[in-house]
Amino acid sequence: MTEILVGIGEYRIGKKPTILKAIGLGSCVGVAFYDPVLKIGGLAHVMLPGKSDNGCARFAEDAVNRMLRDMGKLCVKKDRIVAKMAGGAQVFKFITIDALKIGDRNVKSIDEHLRKLGIRVVARDVGGDKGRTMLFDTSDGSVVVKYSNGDVVWM
Amino acid sequence: MMLDSFDLDALKELGNIGAGHAATSLSKLLGRTISMSVPEIRLVKISELDEIIDAGRIVSGIITAFKDPLSKGEGYLYVMLPGDTPGKLISVLCGSATSTEYELSALLEIGNIISSSFCAATADFLEVEMIPTPPSLAQDYALAVIDAVISRLVESYDQVLLFEVVLRDEQDFFETYIVLIPDAVFFENVVKMLKRKV
Repeated sequence: MTEILVGIGEYRIGKKPTILKAIGLGSCVGVAFYDPVLKIGGLAHVMLPGKSDNGCARFAEDAVNRMLRDMGKLCVKKDRIVAKMAGGAQVFKFITIDALKIGDRNVKSIDEHLRKLGIRVVARDVGGDKGRTMLFDTSDGSVVVKYSNGDVVWM
Repeated sequence: MMLDSFDLDALKELGNIGAGHAATSLSKLLGRTISMSVPEIRLVKISELDEIIDAGRIVSGIITAFKDPLSKGEGYLYVMLPGDTPGKLISVLCGSATSTEYELSALLEIGNIISSSFCAATADFLEVEMIPTPPSLAQDYALAVIDAVISRLVESYDQVLLFEVVLRDEQDFFETYIVLIPDAVFFENVVKMLKRKV
């Protein structure tokens, strides 16, 4: 199966059976959209909460909107989409820089936006203090989360 | 943000000074001779960061924020200890019988010494202020450690300036990467000050 790396601040869509992969999510959040009927999936590697002026995919709302629009062009229907998300950790053990506490805000921003759009979040693994790598298999919509300490979560 | 060859040379010189002092401090702390590489400057698109920093490997990273109150420029200094380097450094500093709490605190101190001597030397040379925060430590995927920092800086830019220098001891015993991630204001100010120097 092909593997596509979803770089920081990007999103990618897998039409054929594909593994979409977001490596080393710390405060960033991976958002997976899946249409179980067409077996098409998209994964966004979100960096920042809220939205930008120019629709930049680094921001939560813009990433979600653009991924949704691109999937729509492939005949994906919004009401069929199920979402899974992982990330938004706080990896620093001794944190003295408030600006780095951005993980929670990312998760909250994505949650609010998906609720507004009426997209169901069927699984989530967010917060905590460990980085994650997220592997999204578009042949069945399954997601594997690998923690930096070696633990693995299926969802 | 564009870099011409003058900018690159200027930044390399800056790196030599900062890293030179950091190497001396580390050398005193460990009681070993430390050498350093020629600094590498890279202007990196954030979407390419995954590959460049080898996002999935586990590292110990110590991050310090700094601020120049005069120019309002700011940035981060990232000290990265890859692979088995943290363990080796800890055994040099503390011997073999230690607790996790001690180990983390030792790593934090190593990061603190490197980043504060780097900041002090750089600031002296440039005649600017670089007031550092106390350091924050994480042991995690290389990208997970710095994604929050990068996020902060790219709210308005899609490129970051990575500044990389490797410190080694004689037996190639460990490697330390120092990465300077300035915001646009600090970066422009640095280039301006360097131009005045030559």
